[in-house]
Amino acid sequence: MDMMTDTDMHTERGIAGRFFSLIPALALAAGLALTLSWTMIFVYAPRESSLGLPQKIFYMHMPLAWWAFCGFFVTFAASLAYLRSGKDHWDALAGAAGEVSLLLIALSIASGSIWAKASWGVWWTWDARLTTALVMCFVYAGYLIVRRLDIAPRRKAKISAVIGIAAFLDVPLVFLSARLWSYIHPPSISLEPEMKMTLTVCLVSFAFLWATLIGLRLKLELDERLLETMLADRLFGKGS
Amino acid sequence: MLRAALIIARKDLRLLAGRSGGLMQALLLGLLLIFMFSLSLVPGQGMTAQGAAAVFWMSSAFCQVLIFNMLHALEEENGQILGLLLAPAPLQSIWLGKAMAGACMLFISQLVFLPAIIIFLNQQVSSLWPVGVAALVIIDAGIVAVGSLLGALARGHSAKESLFSIIIFPLLSPLFLGGIRVGAAVFSGAQADESLKWLSISLAFDAIFTAAALLLFPFAYNVDE
Repeated sequence: MDMMTDTDMHTERGIAGRFFSLIPALALAAGLALTLSWTMIFVYAPRESSLGLPQKIFYMHMPLAWWAFCGFFVTFAASLAYLRSGKDHWDALAGAAGEVSLLLIALSIASGSIWAKASWGVWWTWDARLTTALVMCFVYAGYLIVRRLDIAPRRKAKISAVIGIAAFLDVPLVFLSARLWSYIHPPSISLEPEMKMTLTVCLVSFAFLWATLIGLRLKLELDERLLETMLADRLFGKGS
Repeated sequence: MLRAALIIARKDLRLLAGRSGGLMQALLLGLLLIFMFSLSLVPGQGMTAQGAAAVFWMSSAFCQVLIFNMLHALEEENGQILGLLLAPAPLQSIWLGKAMAGACMLFISQLVFLPAIIIFLNQQVSSLWPVGVAALVIIDAGIVAVGSLLGALARGHSAKESLFSIIIFPLLSPLFLGGIRVGAAVFSGAQADESLKWLSISLAFDAIFTAAALLLFPFAYNVDE
């Protein structure tokens, strides 16, 4: 059997291969930036007068939601690219971004719920943004279940891509309808300059974390697929 | 494309009409849901207009899952799907044909659910019924557009009903929210100021998902497994 060299694997993975070489640097940047952002949250940013300490959740809550929705967009774009090109790495990227985004949106909902209890006195309220996040959580959980089903790989990839596209198209509609249903989120939050700076650092640090997680998950997925192919080749004697 | 779609829709409706259990199964499920929800009421009390509208749309939602699974299962045996794929018509005509057949069956089901809601959940239809009919048509159009697309995705899988449900229910939530609010206004006769906004969102949903389904259906409907 022909063993694939690192170079072969690198070429097969296309752009993903070049992205993987950046993962250690991204992980290091994420670690440093998160340390800085946590320090800024508790040392530099002033305590909000009415909400007090629970307001600090905002610095994690917003970046989590922000990057989750960016991840949903990556799933959408990668799904489109897969349907257009049929290349496996786009399908793997869509899945990796979907998984990471579901984790982030779930953490965002959990942190938002704690914040809601502190500011509104309830764990949950049917506010537009919360409802949108929850509905998208359900949609992408369904998307990930489909990706784990026992279906022929090519058909599964196509089904996943179609759902990945449809799910993202639903985001603005879910938001608009949830806003018309009930809306109590503040339209805009006025922040002190120190708070704005802290939020910016948090957004950037989560960007590094988000890219690292997607990169690692994508690498794991492609490695898994490569091993499955090699195993199948060995079992059926191809190339021996 | 429209002619081919009409032929497919007529073929599907004739096949399902000739099979026992087809539409009856979907109808029975919807009616059972209405009955089960009525158990939540204190004897002698009616349900709120919004609650009744929610039950109506939930019954319709479960009903359409069965409808589209049945419609897409028609060509599952003996590779009959190849007949459709080889027909000299765009693949999108299959989506449109299934959507038209599904719309007919869903509408018939809703004609049964509505009196059941009025009787079992103690509701009344107000003078706002024309708004309700408009909402029914617009929301059903969105449901069948997505149902026909996702039904093709779930086709052939052993757990297709549950697979179809977990994907389609959250996707259809903008339509259900609109349907419930407009339905509540129709049942209660209260001010329907927001109804036009809900109908606009539902129309936007129809437009986006009809366009998406036309583009995506060829990828969803194939035999490359």
